[in-house]
Formats: sequence, C-alpha cells, structure tokens
Amino acid sequence: MSVPLSKNEASGYRTELEQDQIKSERPAEVIAFRALSEEKGKGITMRKKEKAVGMAILAALTVMSLSACGSKNDNNPSSPGNSASASEQSSNSSGSGEKIKLRVVTITTDENRNHIMEQYIKPNVTKEFPNVDVEFEPGGGGDDMANKMKTFNSSGDMPDVFWDDAGYFTPLKSADSIMDLTPYITKDGFLDKYDVPDALKHVDGKIYSLSSGSDTYFTPVIFYHKDMFEQAGVQVPKTFDELLKAADQLKSKGMVPATTQGKGGWGPQLYLLQQMIQIGDPQAMQDLVANKTDFNNPAVKEGAARIAQLVKAGFFPDGIANLDYGPAMEMFTSKKAAMLLMFTWELPNLAKDDTVDFFPFPGASDKYDSSKFVQYWGSPLNGYAVSTKTKHPDEAVKLAEFLAMMDAKYFESTGGQVSLKTGDTAPEPGPLMKKFIDWYNPIPTKIPSLALNALDSKTSAELGSNGANLLTGEYSADQFNADMQKTWSENTWFKQ
Amino acid sequence: MNKYYSTKWSLLVFAVPALLLFTVFCVYPLLPEIWMSLHRNDGFRNLGFVGLDNFKDAFSSSSFWLAHRNTYLIVGISVLIGLPLSMMLALFMDAQTPWFRRIFKTSAMFPAILSVTVVSEMWVSFYDPNWGLFNSLLKSIGLGSWTHSWLTERRTVMPSIGLSFLWQYIGLNAMLFYAGIKTIPKNYFEAALIDGANFFKVSVKITIPLLQDIIKYVLILSTLGSMAFYSQVRVMTSGGPGDVSRTVVYQMYYTAFETSEFGKGTAIAVIFILECLLISFLIQRFVAREKLEF
Repeated sequence: MSVPLSKNEASGYRTELEQDQIKSERPAEVIAFRALSEEKGKGITMRKKEKAVGMAILAALTVMSLSACGSKNDNNPSSPGNSASASEQSSNSSGSGEKIKLRVVTITTDENRNHIMEQYIKPNVTKEFPNVDVEFEPGGGGDDMANKMKTFNSSGDMPDVFWDDAGYFTPLKSADSIMDLTPYITKDGFLDKYDVPDALKHVDGKIYSLSSGSDTYFTPVIFYHKDMFEQAGVQVPKTFDELLKAADQLKSKGMVPATTQGKGGWGPQLYLLQQMIQIGDPQAMQDLVANKTDFNNPAVKEGAARIAQLVKAGFFPDGIANLDYGPAMEMFTSKKAAMLLMFTWELPNLAKDDTVDFFPFPGASDKYDSSKFVQYWGSPLNGYAVSTKTKHPDEAVKLAEFLAMMDAKYFESTGGQVSLKTGDTAPEPGPLMKKFIDWYNPIPTKIPSLALNALDSKTSAELGSNGANLLTGEYSADQFNADMQKTWSENTWFKQ
Repeated sequence: MNKYYSTKWSLLVFAVPALLLFTVFCVYPLLPEIWMSLHRNDGFRNLGFVGLDNFKDAFSSSSFWLAHRNTYLIVGISVLIGLPLSMMLALFMDAQTPWFRRIFKTSAMFPAILSVTVVSEMWVSFYDPNWGLFNSLLKSIGLGSWTHSWLTERRTVMPSIGLSFLWQYIGLNAMLFYAGIKTIPKNYFEAALIDGANFFKVSVKITIPLLQDIIKYVLILSTLGSMAFYSQVRVMTSGGPGDVSRTVVYQMYYTAFETSEFGKGTAIAVIFILECLLISFLIQRFVAREKLEF
C-alpha cells in the first residue's frame, strides 16, 4: 500500500495528528520501524543528534580523503623505518616468492625504441626477473620526458628506473634523486662488459647512467634516394655550393630537395647549426662546445648564415619550420623529398630501401674534411638510471643493466655498433651500415654534440625556438646570432 | 521542508563538500603558485627568494607582450566573429523544420565533441603548404598567388589557428543560443508576427534582447575559454615558429617547462589570473545587468 507523504513528513517533521493518521494507515513493519526510532530518539532532539553525528562522519571522511590525497609518497630509503621495510620487502621478494614492483619510465621516441620494447624487453623481462613485477611507463622524449621527470621529482613520485638525459641530469643530481651506480656495477661485474668503462663516467668520476654505447655511433648525415638523384642528373655533392646546385636541379625536376624535422627547431637545435658551423670551421665548433668561443665568432655566425642560405635556396619544403619528425620521415620514404637530413639511428630502417644511400655533410671550406671531423651524439649521462628513492636498489640496478643490455642487443642485431659486450655474434652489417662503419670509425676527431654537452634548459629551448624562426626565412641570421649571443651569455651549463 | 533546508547545519552539509573541493583544487594551489612566483625555481629545486624580479622579467619580455597580442586576437576572433556567427546559426536553426534542425544539431555539435588533437591535426593537414587542402584549392581556381605557408608565416599563423578554433566551437555556442531561444515564450513571437514583424525584426527586437542572460553566459565562457587557449597551439605549431604563435598560457608553459624557469612561469600565471578575474568582473559588471523574467 502506498502512502502519500505530506510536505512536513518529507522534510522530517510532522504534527501529532499526522503521525496518528499515518500510523493508522501504514503497514505494521513501517509502524514498528517508526516506533523504534521514536523510542530511540524521541523526536527532533534525536534528529539533531543524528545530524550532528552525520556531520561529524562527513567531516571525518572528508579529512581522511584529503589526507589520503595529500599524503606524500614517502619512500625514501634513507629513513630508518623505510629502510627496514625496504629490506623486508626485498627479502620477501627472494624468500617467499612475493613479487616486488618496479616502475620504469623510459624514452619512446621512435621505431627503434618500439622495437626494443616489443621484441627485446617485454619478451625477456619476466624470464630475467621472475620475482619482479615491472611496470613500464612511456616517457616520450625530449621536453616531454624532462617535464615528466620534473613532475615525478617534485611530487616525490620518482620511478625506480628511468631514462636519464644530460638535459635534466644536473638538477636531478642536485635534488639527490639519481643514484651513483658505480659500486653496484663494479661489484657485479657489469662494468667489465663495456669496451671503454671510463666513457661512462661523469666529470665527477661517478657513473649515473647505463647505455648500450650506441649513441656515440649516431651522427647526422644526408640520406638520399639514388634513383631520384639519377633522374635529376645530380651527383653526390662534395661541397656546400654543390649541395645548393643539387637542390636547384632537383627543384627543376619538380622534386623537393631535402627534408628534416623543423618543428620546434629540432633540426637546428640538434645538428643543423653544428653541421653548418663545422663544415666551415670545425675548430670553431669544438671551441663553442667547450665554451671557448661564442656567437660573436665569425665562423659561428657563418653557420647560421648557411642555414638561412639553404632556406632561401628552397633546399627545404615550404613550411619546414612546422614540419614534424614523422611527416618529415614520410616525405623521404615516400620519395616526395630526395634527401633527408637525419641521424644515423634511422640508418637500419632506411637501409631496407635499396635506393637509399647517404653522404656526409659536404664542406664549405678547406678547414673541413668529412674524413677528419664528425659530430657524435650521446653523453655519458644518457642512459638508464636508478632513483635514490627506490625501495629496491639492488633489483633496480639489475633492471637498468638488463635494459641497457636489451638496447645493445637490438642495435647490434641491426648491424649497429655498441660498446656493451652482448655475448651475441654480431650479424654481418648490411652494405649501407658497412659503408657507415668504414667511414665513421677511422675519423680521428669526433666532436661532441652541442645540444647535449653545452646547453642548459633555457639555452637549449631558445636555440630550438630561434632555430625554427631561422627556417622561416623571415628571421635573419644576424638576428639569430644576436639573440643567441644574449642567451649564450646567460648559459649556466658551464657554471654548474 | 523549507524549514529543514533553511537550518544552518543543513546548508553547511550541502555547501561544505563543494567549498572544500573548490578550496583544495582552486584556491589552495594559488598559494604555492604565488610563493613560487617570488622565487627562482628550476622545477627541481627552489633557488632562493627574488622578490618581484620574475614579474619585472615578464613585463620586460617581448615574447610576453606578443603572447598577449596573440591571446587577445583569439579572444577577438572568438567574441567578435564567433559569437555573432553562432547567434545567426541559432536563429537560422530555429526557423527550420524539425528534420533539418535534427541534422543541424548533430553537425553543429560534432566538431565540439571531437578531441582538440584530432581537430588540430586535421587543420594542420588542411594548411600544409605543399599538399594541403587550402593551397590546392587556391591553385585549382587560379589563385596560386594567394597560397601561403599558413602555419609558419608571421601574418597568417594566428588567424589560421583562430579559424580552426572558431570551426570547432561555433556550433556549440549556436546550440547554447538555440537552447536559450527555446526558453522564450512563443506568444511573444506570435504577437510580433500578427503585428507584421519579419524574421529580422523579430530576431533583433525580441529574440536577442530576451537572450541577454545566455549571451552573457556564452560571452564569459568564450572569453575565458579563448584566454586559456593552449592545446590548439601546442598541437598545431608548438608556439612557433619561434615565439610567433605563443599565447599567454603557452608562454607560461614554455617559460616554466621548456626553459625550466618555474619562478618566471608562475609569475606569468599570477598576472594572467588577475587579468582573467578583471575581465570576468568587467563582463559581470557591465553586460546584461538587468534580470529578465518572462
């Protein structure tokens, strides 16, 4: 039987008359319930108490939920309480078989990284670490990765293992968030697997990151389609002027001469400025990386002017300043562009196309010889690192070693060069890789990359920003040099 | 029942959760932000108190003012072009048959429900100077000299991004206006029609004046939404080339996250919050102040 509620009842209050009427109309259980409440509380006084209790519970729940949200992830192993807990968990992991958890944030920037993750890391990580539950988190690369690390560090949520980069190493070290791996990898012998163990050391003599050592074999070159060159009657350019002429010939055949990522100034920031300076005066480039000169140096100024010259000559496609990595690669692989200015980390992928070949950046003066000077990528700080905040330092270091080894195995399998001994028999490199190794290895002077070895965050960002501007053709090389000189004078990299 | 809801405790029970959430997520974060804006901070460490230096640096930076110009250009496009167009679309929709209205509503809402990234990437491909829709179209009709590298030329980059923003939200605003039109009693329109008023007169003399509350709401939403313009810029140009397409929020992001100057970045954020509060106050104070009842 349905009983309509009066306005007062709905609000919790009712007159005695209403109560009697309702009692007479309602089923027995409703009346019994009502009677019980009345007996317990006796009317409005009880309701006030109920409300007060309700408020108290609500307040307590709110405070609890807020305190839960605001609680810090306080897993610093230096705290005695946590140390005990950490060692307890570690022993559990090996003793009782209960899995420990390790979180890894690593770079996921290109196809190579996807291959390493899908074909090497994921299939092997469970076999190698049966008692560890490894959670992988994609970190992106460049600024995305740096921003993630800043956020993790600020919120006390550092991953156990992460990809370290020279760009954000110093503040991580200052915040005591990155572990010195030297004692661990010396003790377990992993250090001995490197051809040149000293190459892993930072200037303070400690080792913070483990890599495959493949980075030092990455250098920017100019990939090209042999068939497109033939079609346009273009010979491989030996000088900068010949490069400009080749661009003209390709354009006259309706082809886009060359492509690269211009968005965010990626090209100028990572290699184009360095190459354009280097091909004119390699010593000036070495001096710039070592902070012995600046953007007032005529040879450095000429480097920026050469980029402006390339843009003016239509060497790049329209809109190069906003062209991203993927579309730039696609332009080359689909043969919309005859040349691709890119690091050799793309060589294994590009070598699958028989029409692809490469040549070093051609010289712009007698001071440069591509068989004597070359830019190399990498820094001892780039690689897998371990957080000082990890609860399981031993397992985390082992995991970092495993990840570096997987990188090495992958790059070696593609015919690439690595400095970490994998124990695998390296496959015979393909013709393009062999050509690269034969050219690159004997080069006596390998110049470190400006982007990784001389720029603080602001200088790096401004180089990218001004570099993108330079690619528009609406911003002069003089303006670029003036702006960069101002930023360079405030560069804190060498003051650390 | 009214008595129950009017007790202090009841009001408190209902108000406290919202008040707490607002305080925790909106008011509280402002305090460390203001504190950080007075310090040097690289995102990892606090490097010391610098007073108002971060604010001085922001005001003396040409990029900061360029970012303001770009932001207010987007606000202008959104408010001065977008809102009148949305209103026209709403009036047009109201005059259509139910079948057409259904189609129209779906198409109007479609861009707004798409992810900003999807829409931005689509427009990036439209703007591609080599193979994009716009340049191809211009070339095909003999206007090859009108082609541009839309997203890298200083003159065209912000209007181009603004157009994509306009396209995405013009329909949503039209829907809001249309919902407002539907709340106006029909007898007003019937009386006007009997008096011989045409569509234009009805719209100008009756519909738009009676929509002032909705107009105010959409105006605040569009203005503040445009001021917080970031995602489209991030996807379409990354603020570039150089600083050419940075908005204030992007400049704040760039300063804090890309140059690792969190103190300066938060100083820009504090300035921007004050701007938003001022603009919001001005709209509240001067737009549609009289309460309409019908």
